[in-house]
Amino acid sequence: MKNTKEKIVFTGSGIVCGAGATVEDVWSRLESGDTAVAPFTQFDNEKWPVKVAAEVQQDNRFLVSDRKLHKTISRTDMYGIYAAERAIEESGLLSYRESLPEEEVDRFNDRSGLIIGSGGGNYTSNYDYIPVIAEAKGELPVFGRELANLVTPMWLLQNLPNNVLCHVGIRGQFKGTNACITNQCVGGVLAVAEAASAIWNGEADRVAAAGHDLPFEPEMVYYYHKLGLMSGEAPKPFDAERNGTVFGEGAGAVVLEREADAKARGAKVLGEFLGFGCCSEATGILDLAPDGDGVERAIKEALMDAGVEPSEIGVICAHGNGTPASDLTESMGIRRVFGESIPPVTGFKWAYGHLIAASGIVDLVMTLEMLKRGVVPGIPTLQEMDPLIQPFPVSSDTAKPLSDIALLICRGFGGMNVALVVKAAS
Amino acid sequence: MTSIEKRRIAVTGIGMVTPLGNNAASTWSGLLAGKSGAGPTRNFDASGFTTTFSAEVKDFDPETAVPSQKLLKYASRSHRFALAAAAEALADAGIQPTEADSHRWGLAVGAGMMSVAYDDLKVVNDFAAPEGRFDAAGLMNPDFPGNPVNFCRWQSNAGLGLLTKQFGIRGYATSVHTACASGGQAVGTALKVMRRGRCDYMLAGGFDSMINPIGISGFCLLGALSKDNDNPTGASRPFDATRSGFVLGEGAGFLVLEDWDRAKARGAKIYAELAGDGNSLSCYRITDSPPDGNGPIQAIEQALGDAGISAADVDYVNAHGTSTQMNDRSECAALKSVFAGRVDEVRVSSTKSCMGHLIAAAGAVEAAVCCLAIRDGIAPVNANYETPDPDCNVRLVLGAPEKLRIRAAVSNSLGFGGSNSSLVFRNPEEVNP
Repeated sequence: MKNTKEKIVFTGSGIVCGAGATVEDVWSRLESGDTAVAPFTQFDNEKWPVKVAAEVQQDNRFLVSDRKLHKTISRTDMYGIYAAERAIEESGLLSYRESLPEEEVDRFNDRSGLIIGSGGGNYTSNYDYIPVIAEAKGELPVFGRELANLVTPMWLLQNLPNNVLCHVGIRGQFKGTNACITNQCVGGVLAVAEAASAIWNGEADRVAAAGHDLPFEPEMVYYYHKLGLMSGEAPKPFDAERNGTVFGEGAGAVVLEREADAKARGAKVLGEFLGFGCCSEATGILDLAPDGDGVERAIKEALMDAGVEPSEIGVICAHGNGTPASDLTESMGIRRVFGESIPPVTGFKWAYGHLIAASGIVDLVMTLEMLKRGVVPGIPTLQEMDPLIQPFPVSSDTAKPLSDIALLICRGFGGMNVALVVKAAS
Repeated sequence: MTSIEKRRIAVTGIGMVTPLGNNAASTWSGLLAGKSGAGPTRNFDASGFTTTFSAEVKDFDPETAVPSQKLLKYASRSHRFALAAAAEALADAGIQPTEADSHRWGLAVGAGMMSVAYDDLKVVNDFAAPEGRFDAAGLMNPDFPGNPVNFCRWQSNAGLGLLTKQFGIRGYATSVHTACASGGQAVGTALKVMRRGRCDYMLAGGFDSMINPIGISGFCLLGALSKDNDNPTGASRPFDATRSGFVLGEGAGFLVLEDWDRAKARGAKIYAELAGDGNSLSCYRITDSPPDGNGPIQAIEQALGDAGISAADVDYVNAHGTSTQMNDRSECAALKSVFAGRVDEVRVSSTKSCMGHLIAAAGAVEAAVCCLAIRDGIAPVNANYETPDPDCNVRLVLGAPEKLRIRAAVSNSLGFGGSNSSLVFRNPEEVNP
């Protein structure tokens, strides 16, 4: 399906989540089976049926050193800026730009893209209006008159869904093709897919892609719980007793460019992007196709795009969010593609929770690390396989990938399914 | 860069819900009459706000617009506009996804920013923040009436979920938000997805509705809105020296995009070729526009290059033209740079002068307007212009719409955060002379 066979590689990655703020730290949690899901501290959990989340431990100053920026953005933006800038830093692109003759810099910037998957907003930021609502006592004209006295004039700017795009752009002068994808859980992985497409189609020479989100908020926990989507403990994907997911928060990011360009400038290569698939099940906001239809089609499209046979996939990083319906239908979709020859399957949400818009891209960063190390971490929360799902090659023990190619699956509201195929650096 | 044979994409259907009318025909005739969609805000009591007027969608009946009661329940005001405009676009194109080809149909939308509704915040206020300070324990009050339906409606891709379900679109689907550039970027994304061969048909558009107490508050606080409360219909005056802020609108616009050869083969009416997309980031400041047009320039030039045409082939620009001092100056600087010697010839108008600023829907609605301008050979008017601004001396369409054969039209959308989108639409006669 793609227009050229030009190889696209990852030359930088960044991550921040409850399990750590470096790839190494998060990997050691995955390897040791040590979940970051713990009693949360941002509000009093005593009366709450859900008492855990995977909270980011780093403070704002660690995430973004420029304190002037702290007043004009929100915490989810800090996650995104942190991850994106770590990825750009690791890629070495900025120091490479410095080495360019001055007359080439504008073109370099205009050919550098930036695509962000954003959570798109949240409840708590809107609570800034509650003091005015309280003051107004139901009288809208009073609300209108008191507004400017009680809410910062910067409110809108602090809460723009495209803030990470704007500020990473300004700070790095990535002026080329760009997008802010607000497609709930699949925003982050779709940013990666769009980044690769932009390079394949000649719209950009290099693209940084990031996803960030901060779903862990009281009202989000309330609704997820009310909808039966939230567990009270670290998620147990594919387990017979699984009862929901748990929120994480944070961001992931990668830098993509042509392999030829990366080689020419002597960049370190973290892995290769082979292809993607993206589809909707047309089932509305929450519902899932009962047979794994979208999962199957997204995987098949990704394999075809990558030019890879199912038998060449060495490991699958599943969405595995721990909710009964999603894990079951995900396993059905995988089986419909791989039959009885499914490679080892794992998933990471037991370790750092569900990061919603950032979930898939954080999984991608760790999938590249998994391929590099040749180790498939187990799912330690898995105790008894769901009889409706087995036989299915998930385990609480570590395994070895069958090849250096991984399939990653990400699912979201709106019946969305995205699959990526990536390969270890050769 | 590998050069590839670009797949040709046709616009075969249009749908709109705007402050000028609840379908494409009434919106277009409103524009041709130079009508204003602005007036005192009626969606809520805005009398205490610094801006008391807006450009609202009027007499919109969601029951007729949205056939499914269940879908209606989950649809916010902007989703309802979207469902109605998308249905109109599909009916206009005379095609829709079928069992056999639904996986080859895609969706790309520019969705509005998800502000929590005032009434929902009032409930949080009552239960969890009676004095204004939020205490999460209040949500655990067994009487807290939190409604999961509201939660669903508020999800960032709720509009995508409702549209794919309503029309049975099972291929690539995406939702983007780059503030005022959202709608343009969504249409541009759809073009790219089709050129990559991932879809044969796409529904592309944008929808937004921020004319509610919380939505309008952000703009009031920022001071971005016109405060001409005594003169709502004259308040949006893009490029006029006395312009003083934008007029908030609401609505939705959708296009049906189709593989050109397939559209020809089935004898579809073709409004225009969606020929090029340009997309850049100004990297200047979050709300300020670059005074020299650096950013918008790249977007327009990219779009022309993508379309395989030059500045000499363009006859009409539907400007972003928000009627703020900075945007209009920056955009004119970009137009002067791109069109250079032809800047006195290329007709420019901002249809925001009539319908206000539809934010995330603006780019999509204005894309539809470009298609109609090409079809009818008429450049819509830039209304309310009286006082020339030497920084904005481009060839505005003044006084009345202008009869003009349009070979190609450019639609600009420039957003907060610095995202710039330009789209190029070509007259079908230019494609197949």
